[in-house]
Amino acid sequence: MSAALGPERPQVVSHVQQALSYTVFDCKWVPRSARLLCLGSAARGTGIVQLYELHGARLELLREIEKPKPIKCGTFGATSLQQRYLATGDFDGNLNIWNLEAPEIPVYSVKGHKEIINSIDGVGGLGIGEGAPEIVTGSRDGTVKVWDPRQRDIPVANMEPVQGESKRDCWTVAFGNAYNQEERVVCAGYDNGDIKLFDLKTMSLRWETNIKNGVCSVEFDRKDINMNKLVATSLEGKFHVFDMRTQHPTKGFASVSEKAQKSTIWQVRHLPQNRDIFMTSGGSGSLHLWKYEYPAQRSKKDSEGCEMGVAGSVSLLQNVTLSTQPISSLDWSPDKKGLCVCGAFDQTVRVLIVTKLNKV
Amino acid sequence: MPVWLREHSWRQTATAVYLSLPLRGARATPANIFCSEQYLKVSIPPFLFEAVLYAPIDDTNSTAKIGNGNIFFTLYKKEPSMWDSLTLANADKEKLQSLRENAVLKAQEKAKEETEAKKITKQEHKKYALEATMKVEEAERKRIEDMKEKERQKVTKELELWKNQQKDGDKYKSIQKKGELHKEIEPLKERKNETTTKTRIPNEGTSKTRLKSTKGSCSMFSQNLKEEQLPAPRAAATIKVNFTPRVFPTALRESRIAEEEEWLHKQAEARRIINSDLSELEDLKEEEKNPDWLKDKGNKMFAMGDYLGAVNAYNLAVRLNNALPLLYLNRAACHLKLRNLHKAIEDSSKALELLIPPVPDNEKARVKAHVRRGTAFCQLELYTEGLRDYEAALKIDPRNKNIEKDAEKIRHLIQGTMQCS
Repeated sequence: MSAALGPERPQVVSHVQQALSYTVFDCKWVPRSARLLCLGSAARGTGIVQLYELHGARLELLREIEKPKPIKCGTFGATSLQQRYLATGDFDGNLNIWNLEAPEIPVYSVKGHKEIINSIDGVGGLGIGEGAPEIVTGSRDGTVKVWDPRQRDIPVANMEPVQGESKRDCWTVAFGNAYNQEERVVCAGYDNGDIKLFDLKTMSLRWETNIKNGVCSVEFDRKDINMNKLVATSLEGKFHVFDMRTQHPTKGFASVSEKAQKSTIWQVRHLPQNRDIFMTSGGSGSLHLWKYEYPAQRSKKDSEGCEMGVAGSVSLLQNVTLSTQPISSLDWSPDKKGLCVCGAFDQTVRVLIVTKLNKV
Repeated sequence: MPVWLREHSWRQTATAVYLSLPLRGARATPANIFCSEQYLKVSIPPFLFEAVLYAPIDDTNSTAKIGNGNIFFTLYKKEPSMWDSLTLANADKEKLQSLRENAVLKAQEKAKEETEAKKITKQEHKKYALEATMKVEEAERKRIEDMKEKERQKVTKELELWKNQQKDGDKYKSIQKKGELHKEIEPLKERKNETTTKTRIPNEGTSKTRLKSTKGSCSMFSQNLKEEQLPAPRAAATIKVNFTPRVFPTALRESRIAEEEEWLHKQAEARRIINSDLSELEDLKEEEKNPDWLKDKGNKMFAMGDYLGAVNAYNLAVRLNNALPLLYLNRAACHLKLRNLHKAIEDSSKALELLIPPVPDNEKARVKAHVRRGTAFCQLELYTEGLRDYEAALKIDPRNKNIEKDAEKIRHLIQGTMQCS
């Protein structure tokens, strides 16, 4: 299913490659700059944060910070543009917020979970979205917790298993629907294929489904608008795109699914400048660039007269194989369209440029 | 005896001989004609015509035309001279024979040379074709590479431009920040003056960080003003979550569902089988008829060191339900302790049989079975079998250091015995 655009197809150009001496788990652009952060775990079992700056065709290391525990994930989503504090989750279940200018003592620190924090997301910062800045963390102990940096020690929301129920690992979390000060949802994906949508305004479970494969990554196409689309990627090379505008009382949200490759799809990231384009990264070291096309009518009535969503279609714009190891993390630059960074398990971080996105 | 064709006629010029040979109704094909430098033969069984020529001819350029019931030869002479007759006059049998043989040999050599030459030309043609295609492909690749390079350079330039814009923006912001910080430093400076003798803050850069690390929230001052506009933190609440049930602790994969179902099914079946045809069972208490309870009892006795008792418990459990792999596994451990090595091997093997299909759920059990069987083999001095089992265990669980060490030891033992014998 590749779009027949011929020579006008977007090309993925590998701009810089940097070999690292540690395993990189997450890489993020520092907002409003040409700098990027790599978070990971050194061989000696400590956490590493490295700050690089893009200089022509190479990356220059500006800072290296070492922390006692390996770091799994990080986000800038909940800080203001002036502060640009980094929130990280580490292998021990600690959530920390760091000021990168003075990283010895965290600005905020809490032992949020009993086991590794697998995924973290932030909303309300960077001038995007409305409402209080909040951070959500999902952990292997089966709980999803939402934190407010102004409130110490106690999460503002805790999604935990019912008493006596055996827990499943939460592998991914994402914020969405934050279009005004009250509304917010958290989407969580678990290793048994469950996807759950929690509404933070009503503090209830809004929707859940099971996609038959462990869920590796979920992301809304935009955090700060009325929920539009949600992409969930899973093991076995599948991903699902849910149309989140229309919720049917029993059938939930309409979706279209695509099998991209044989290996796990580790990450999905939407292009900040165009919410219908997203990139998936795979366990075989490949990146696929997709475009979602809306159907003619986004909703229709079913036999009982209830509104039901209609899913559109997904087409592959480009794919490229960069590495033999899984590409575990991916981040688009919010400032420059087409610039992205990806980190793979072959201990390299690559800066890529995707061209011709204007013509898509 | 062949029939000789003798009704040939011929004429000659200085450079060529024209020979006409009527065929008397026989059909001729090029294969029937054999010609070498000085010998010409046409053999169409039963007809035969041969001629030992007067002088050598250039047989590569000479031609033979077959048609109208006769063959017309055009033979080009090597040396232009007039021949007295077509064939050599005083040709005795032996000379003829040797001439014929020479002719045949020469013809063969020529044929060989021709094939060689053909091969060489063929190879050269192939090489040439290959090089040509390679050049074309190379050109194509270069074109694509150049296009990509151009894109890259264009994009790199744009990036540099954008980055410089960012830098300028940042500089502007940091100047602003410094301005703000100055305003904040003033009141702090006054406080410091009271306590220290230093009246001058030496370097703005260090003071900034020093202040920051001691105060910890310098720039939070500016934030406090903003906080008024943000809503208060949410009221803490908990949402209870139910998960789609799953027995295995590993992640769900569609491709493994069939295997996992099979394993679960087998386990369920095994638990339901109760061989209750033994009359002695009526004497036993209710709980003693439960294989699980017996298994627990056996485990307890093993822990306490009562290996014979444990074996008894497991035996009874097996009589009741012979499809539970764990019973065999644990009994194998008891037999190892009791040094009933053959029984230990039997039980481990039975356990492994029951642990098919191999799913991650019964990994631990399979590793144990392999290790126990391996130990039994080694104690029986059957080291190669033992090593096989240890390697199987390592394959399932490559990270277990003890198994690795033991496998190494066994390998050394094997090498040691092999060297001695």
